[in-house]
Amino acid sequence: MTITIEAPPWRVGVDVGGTFTDLVVADSEGRTEVFKVPSVPADPGEGVINALTTACEALDQPMEKFLGDCQFFLHGSTVATNTLLEGKGATVGLLTTAGFRDSLEARRGLRKDPWDHRTPYPPVLVPRYLRQPVGGRIDARGNEVEPVNLDDVRASCKVFRDEGVESIAVCLLNSFINTAHEDAVADVLREEGVCDWISVSSDIVPIMGEYERTSTTAVNAYVMPRVASYLTALQQKLIDMGLETKLLMLQSNGGAASLDQLIRQPVNLLLSGPSAGVGAMQHLASGIGENNLVSMEIGGTSCDVMLMHEGRVAITDSLSVNDYDLVTPSVDIHTVGAGGGTIAGIDGAGLMYAGPEGAGARPGPAAYGYGGTRPTVTDAHLVLGRMRPGPYAGGSVSLDMSLAEQALDTEIATPAGISRTEAAAGLIRIVEQNLLHAVERISIQRGYNPGRFMLIACGGAGPMHGASVGRKLGARAVYIPRQAGAFCAIGMQHADVRRDFVHVVMRELNDDAIPAIAEGYDRLRQQALEALKNEGFEEKDTEFGYELDLHYEGQQWDVRVALDPAATPDEIRTAFEVEYDRQFGHTNPESRINVAKLRVVGIGKLPPLEDPKFDAVDEVVTPIETRKVYAESAREFLETSVYQGADLSHGQSVLGPAIIEEATTTILVGPGDRVTVDALNNYTVTFETEE
Amino acid sequence: MDAKVPATTLDPVILALTQNRLDHISHQMGWVMVRTARSPIFSQAHDFSCFIAGPTGEVVSQADGIPIHTGSGGFGVRAILRDFGDELADGDVYLLNDPWEAGGNHLPDWVIARPIFVDGQMVGLTCNRAHQSDIGGGAAGAYNPVATDAWSEGVRLPVLKLVEAGKTREDVWKLLMLNTRTPHLQDGDLRAMLGSTRIGMERVAALVDELGVNNAMDYFTGVLDHADRSVRAEIAKLPDGVYEAEDRSDNDCFEIRDVTVRVKLTINGENMKVDFTGTDEQILGFKNSSLGNTYSAIFTALASFLDPHLPHNEGAFRCVDVIAPEGTIINANEGAPTTMCTVFFAHEIIHAVWKALAQADPDRGCAGWAKNVFGISVGKEESGHPYVFYHGAAAAGSGAVDGRDGFNQIGHVCTLGGLTMPNVEVYEQLYPVMFHRQEFRMDAAGSGKYRGGSGCDYEVDIMTPATHSFRGEGLNYETGYGINGGGNGAPGKMHLRHGDGETEEAPKFGLRRTDTVRFVTQSPGGGGYGQPLERDPALVLRDWRDGIISDATMRDVYGVVAAADGKSVDSGATEALRASM
Repeated sequence: MTITIEAPPWRVGVDVGGTFTDLVVADSEGRTEVFKVPSVPADPGEGVINALTTACEALDQPMEKFLGDCQFFLHGSTVATNTLLEGKGATVGLLTTAGFRDSLEARRGLRKDPWDHRTPYPPVLVPRYLRQPVGGRIDARGNEVEPVNLDDVRASCKVFRDEGVESIAVCLLNSFINTAHEDAVADVLREEGVCDWISVSSDIVPIMGEYERTSTTAVNAYVMPRVASYLTALQQKLIDMGLETKLLMLQSNGGAASLDQLIRQPVNLLLSGPSAGVGAMQHLASGIGENNLVSMEIGGTSCDVMLMHEGRVAITDSLSVNDYDLVTPSVDIHTVGAGGGTIAGIDGAGLMYAGPEGAGARPGPAAYGYGGTRPTVTDAHLVLGRMRPGPYAGGSVSLDMSLAEQALDTEIATPAGISRTEAAAGLIRIVEQNLLHAVERISIQRGYNPGRFMLIACGGAGPMHGASVGRKLGARAVYIPRQAGAFCAIGMQHADVRRDFVHVVMRELNDDAIPAIAEGYDRLRQQALEALKNEGFEEKDTEFGYELDLHYEGQQWDVRVALDPAATPDEIRTAFEVEYDRQFGHTNPESRINVAKLRVVGIGKLPPLEDPKFDAVDEVVTPIETRKVYAESAREFLETSVYQGADLSHGQSVLGPAIIEEATTTILVGPGDRVTVDALNNYTVTFETEE
Repeated sequence: MDAKVPATTLDPVILALTQNRLDHISHQMGWVMVRTARSPIFSQAHDFSCFIAGPTGEVVSQADGIPIHTGSGGFGVRAILRDFGDELADGDVYLLNDPWEAGGNHLPDWVIARPIFVDGQMVGLTCNRAHQSDIGGGAAGAYNPVATDAWSEGVRLPVLKLVEAGKTREDVWKLLMLNTRTPHLQDGDLRAMLGSTRIGMERVAALVDELGVNNAMDYFTGVLDHADRSVRAEIAKLPDGVYEAEDRSDNDCFEIRDVTVRVKLTINGENMKVDFTGTDEQILGFKNSSLGNTYSAIFTALASFLDPHLPHNEGAFRCVDVIAPEGTIINANEGAPTTMCTVFFAHEIIHAVWKALAQADPDRGCAGWAKNVFGISVGKEESGHPYVFYHGAAAAGSGAVDGRDGFNQIGHVCTLGGLTMPNVEVYEQLYPVMFHRQEFRMDAAGSGKYRGGSGCDYEVDIMTPATHSFRGEGLNYETGYGINGGGNGAPGKMHLRHGDGETEEAPKFGLRRTDTVRFVTQSPGGGGYGQPLERDPALVLRDWRDGIISDATMRDVYGVVAAADGKSVDSGATEALRASM
């Protein structure tokens, strides 16, 4: 490959995915290069080292020199998620208020699909015999009703020792309003020294609601020992190899934080990786001057949809991982089972379906030749001429046309009595309908009109569907980053350090509340500033965002508004009602408003990457070949030009039907679609004719 | 292979796209409803459902909504077609609730239906059925526990034309607002229902337009036919025969006496007959089921038993023939009180149908979900603000199925657990109450290879004088039945501990006023599945270590002996003990 980056210091982003580990290196002039190697599920760190080795070879640099020249090293890791998914976490002991030790297991009765009553809950992370009661009670106003019984804690420690407990979680009733009992319990735990790993709910997530707070604290305790030892070892290895900067981990909130700040709060890492798409969206938004964006990132098994409205990607509190319910600031991502490996077929009563089941990496699509016999999206693209048989994904697999044809014939065409082409084209139509519905859902559910957003097609498989879904959606244009296949790793290049702090208030919004709000903000800002100073930031490189969670009296859910910390009650009310009206279509002007929570978001600004400049070219670009590719709008195979991405530069454009082959993705556009390379060296698809 | 070939010339791809699109549209109507309705019940408890009917009134999609709303939407739509068939016009909207006159399920659930026109042809209706906050009647909040007729429960609506040619009929609107105690909520909620059906109408019209009217109607029929084939294929797997079962309540809301639902279920090839002949007469209190509600309960039982992923449109019900004698608890005569029926007798109907199905296919048998015992406490805060407190944290245990123990605490079976429990901390913020306990019960779960849900020990102080409305359906008799050798769950118990230290047993129904009081409740346990001696000894040991079962239960019911360290099973001793049992 031709290497275009040259001037250190480097900024490195590494995203470990299920199939590939993506490494992106940016140089001091903002040019980026992507390196993709297979992931090593047994030891993801090995994949990171392999990616580094590949990069160093390409750059012709010794590892030590390369790492020494790294100014920032950002990492998105699935280690926390996998620990939870695989059930490989620690033996956890949980201390709860006496009489309430079962909220973790009762789960408030929450289930995703009530109809599906035969599916059990995932295993409870702490068995009941390790959920130990502690006497004492704080009431709903924060007053002590009964002193905490520390002898109960000591007795529990005996049990924990005897049972080999490796990590302890503490969650007492109403600790979000008064931490005294939890503090006292934590002191005794440190004194007793059963283990080093202690997670206290008022530190981890000081929010109201004992089920979600306990569950979050228990997950934290469960993943902590493994995550800490794995990431610490990886960081040490990189330092031994020459890295002179700290590892910055991507958190679920889309921002970064250094490993030592996160080691006791690994629950913040459950969306590490996918959340980095936010950085990429923010960068694109400023680059193209468009701040209403929906991204559709499609990989092998699923599609992640994210929405940016007026420059902001929503951060939610709730996250569900493998049906474990968590409260942790997380980028709002809607995931659907639609990717390259999505399986299609005909059900027992003659209806065609595609997804949500996927073929995974093994056996994968039938065309991989690893024994898969059910047709997938990739098989359909192959049959429709959109992908070419032979080496694929950097040569890690080879696509076999006859296997794809056989799978489509056996599972769809023959039983449904349609042609192979109809089967393949139908498969793609159903999948693209799912994608369209996913985009409509994330926008309509949140009160937005999807037609007003520019669609970003990314992920290795996204650009194959972007133009088609964009047309169906009525989008003005579809944007395709040139390095679409490494969207999250690219996003890491544009992440800032971010720490979120929350404080529960629970009082009526009126003049009396203002001093309490001011005091609360002040405390949270101090916490945030201290955290950012620990990350090495000076105050001048920090920014703080202030948010309030508010609701009408009697309501149990909040609406979040961002506003000036010195806002008056009238200004707060107005801001709340504007947002409430946008979401729910009405307001209750007579109703009192309660302030539920204060939030301070602390941002430590990393120096922005330069945007590389690309000179405009106006030569006509020539395809590397033409071949027959199926076009949905024409319902037939059309002679289609195939271009090499590297041949297309700023200012050049091609008219569909066309295929553009990039290093990390393939772009498909239909008849009447025009693809233009913009000043950022990325692709924009516009629609010149009605379909 | 041939079984897969549909008897149709429809394009299988377009059929799939049409079905997915219809389901997506009904979801979309639900999102609009959640976002725009006024009452918190819609955004928090999702007590509504959106559905789409074809031109003959058959429901073609009901992807959104709670189980006990599923399977009866067509009754209301067909009442509209009966009353206004030839007059339906673009821009009209209809409203109904009455179970007898207008195909409703119970009075608080109002249905808004909007006909869809494309090229001058009526191609279907988009509908929203939603629980109203107050509809007049003898008690605020739509539930009147002392009602003995429908008129004490609220306003009865025939099929009404609410909007005519795009213009709301203000006279009708005012009539509705005069008949509710919460007009500001109802005004907002009805507007949200109008909005959601309008969005749905536009989307369905676009879909029909895209396909062409005639073609679209063929595909709507195709969607229904597919559901029909899917359910028939499932029923054909069941052995032919006649299966009889019953489930009872121990009270009629005013006195303790058995009231029984009896079902005779006949499987004949790919057809099923559900015959309730022999079911007890309707009762004085408000648990009588309307025909629509009975259909929904049957559908809930059937779909949850067979395959929860079966389509939820009306085609799925074509092969089911229901015989529901009038004047019985499952098809009460006009004017009977019915408000509680979506919970009870829906529960008893689901249980009876499950029991009959389990005889046909024991492996898929569902043990009984214990009936809930909690009611409502109504009082005034110190500030004088009235409050209404549901004891929802006292939820009961569910029954087990093959491969899954019962859920220890879960919502009503009529929602299949869709209504969830509150956090204690949230309730302590909202109401003058203080909780002392919410913990799984010991030895209350029905025993079995898979055990029932445990139920819970629940204690809460109500810290003001209050009036309590009792609904102790699951108190004092076993309601979570065991299946295939599994044991029944333990009954619920409830006591009131007064400030003076005196304790009394709580009544099962009716109203009581007390000073500050502590509720001491044991919610009932769910039924077990399969023989307890077949339960994996490791799971038995875990239950014992967890305090879900006692020493005696481990030994005498499950035949398991723990090793000396109490952390593992003594396999030899367990084998010997089980052999001797």
